[in-house]
Amino acid sequence: MAETSVDRLVRLLALVAYLDDHPGVSVTQVAEHFGVSEAQVLTDVDTLWVSGTPGYQHTDLIDFSADDRERNILTLVEPQGMDTPLRLGAGEAVALLVALRSLADTPGIGEQAVVVSALEKLTAAAGGAAEAAGAVEVHTDPSSMTGHLELIGDAIEQRRQLRLRYVSAADETSERTADPIRLLTDSHRYFLHAWCYRAQGVRQFRVDRILDLEVLSTPAQDHPDITFTDSPNPELSQARWRVRLELASRARWVAEHVPVAELEELGEGDFAVHVDVLDLSWLRNLVLALGPDVLGVEPEDIRRDLARYARDAVAAYDELS
Amino acid sequence: MSARLDAAERLLALVIALSHTPHRMTKAQIRANVAGYADASSDAAFERMFERDKDALRALGVPLTTVTDSTHEDDVGYRIDTSEYALPAVDFTPAEIGVLSLAAEVWQDSSLAAQARRGLTKLRATTPHAQDLEPATALRVRGPGDVFETLLEAIMARQPVRFDYRAASTGSTARRTVEPWRLYAKDRGWYLVGFDRDRQAERHFRLSRIIGRARRTGEAGEVALPEGMPPTTAAAHRTRVRLAVLPGRAAALRARAVGEPAHDTAANGGPRRDIVELDTADPDLLAEEIAGYGAAVVVLHPPEVRDNVLRRLHAVAELAAIGVRGEG
Repeated sequence: MAETSVDRLVRLLALVAYLDDHPGVSVTQVAEHFGVSEAQVLTDVDTLWVSGTPGYQHTDLIDFSADDRERNILTLVEPQGMDTPLRLGAGEAVALLVALRSLADTPGIGEQAVVVSALEKLTAAAGGAAEAAGAVEVHTDPSSMTGHLELIGDAIEQRRQLRLRYVSAADETSERTADPIRLLTDSHRYFLHAWCYRAQGVRQFRVDRILDLEVLSTPAQDHPDITFTDSPNPELSQARWRVRLELASRARWVAEHVPVAELEELGEGDFAVHVDVLDLSWLRNLVLALGPDVLGVEPEDIRRDLARYARDAVAAYDELS
Repeated sequence: MSARLDAAERLLALVIALSHTPHRMTKAQIRANVAGYADASSDAAFERMFERDKDALRALGVPLTTVTDSTHEDDVGYRIDTSEYALPAVDFTPAEIGVLSLAAEVWQDSSLAAQARRGLTKLRATTPHAQDLEPATALRVRGPGDVFETLLEAIMARQPVRFDYRAASTGSTARRTVEPWRLYAKDRGWYLVGFDRDRQAERHFRLSRIIGRARRTGEAGEVALPEGMPPTTAAAHRTRVRLAVLPGRAAALRARAVGEPAHDTAANGGPRRDIVELDTADPDLLAEEIAGYGAAVVVLHPPEVRDNVLRRLHAVAELAAIGVRGEG
């Protein structure tokens, strides 16, 4: 994501406060601490060096030790009074406080004492803005918590393999051995990211579809070359189908929660999404969950198959009534 | 200053100038003296630039105040109140900053994500280094849409809001006036709960169904929050649902069953099925899930869940008859 000018301003001000408290730190350390490249830190320092009070004569400017700078060390010589850390804006306080409270409510994270102490200090640091955060809440769904979570958490920490019996979106049950990597939750469901030996790749397992779970004594292998996208959605680069769904405005959440390749507005709030589909049973579950909010499906053969599947289900109800 | 300054550098120049001004700076003084503002090509361009910068700084918590001079009442001046500028003295440990870094990663692509990141940068200024934590579990929550900010401001100001809302049940749009109480994220969406003045009752509004912008209306302070804020969702009432499941199917539902499945209900010549019972706090969500199993899972009881699933099945069955839009 491109950095905005406001993001950069916040870092420029933070750098002055930080460097005033920590003279003689290396460029490398500053880059690491603020999560930016060393080149960006040097660009920021160059900007600060020519910033100051109107007039902008040498004595008006923020100043660094040029000798230290030659050695990639940052020493602030003259902060021009800008060495005070800036308080949090109301929006920043809300964003951090609500996120941290949600973490504190999340099993697997929230039990740690450091989460509680961080929350207390953040509340103090937020001052009056903490009140606004009290009006915002993320619900966690306790029914999604199962004993599996604790076992998986232990296996990740102890780097042990898992043996699991898993039922897929296609309602097919399989036995798999996997190296657990991490758990991800969207506050509603939990997903296990793991190296699956059967698939010979990283797979995402919905924890509520794990039927049985066993932590093995075999150590898990390292998979250092794995990179994650943060979103709990499958890798779609190998998708076999591109499907266009016309949806009623009520189904707007789909555009927010499913990776959408293209979005069209159809007027009156109706819209169409183009989604890449790896697994037709995933699509079937989505379309049937949406029911009357689905106004159209393309391509036609997929639409016919879905309709037939639904018709067979209606027939089963007729049989049983 | 000859080279054109980028916006971040101009904002920095404004913060430094207004923090140091002994009394105040007028807009004319800012335009003439603060680096970056001479770049404005016209009076109007300067006005726009300055207004935007002023709003941006205030959103960041910079205490930018307006000072009217008694001798020049028409001419507004500005300064930064340095006594209000500072972060309260806090002493985060490296591990606590590590926890805050995790918190800043919670929000997915929304204004909350950007704000959390900026807040974290400010807090990092106060500690020598951070200790990276790698917990086994990561939390990722979709942030709310843009209307969230207006609603939160209205809640804080105790002020009613007005917006156009598309009802879930009918799909029709109506203007609603609401006394806002709280905002919450649940399942797949963000919601506002408050007192609906048109319906004269407590209502929950899904933010993604609000059309366009919400506007504050009436007077600040007008909204009285109910005593002992009500829970944002109805207390968990659990519904027992009875299903007829084909043998070997729907293992994920069976795993949540109450008790052992009963066998054999071969009725009316249909296939044999197992009777599976489970409890749910959210029948609508369960109906969505069950519909995906098609003929493998039939709801026997209660009728509302059965009808809910059938409504979805009928709708999809009818898709066969629907042409592609534009063909008909």
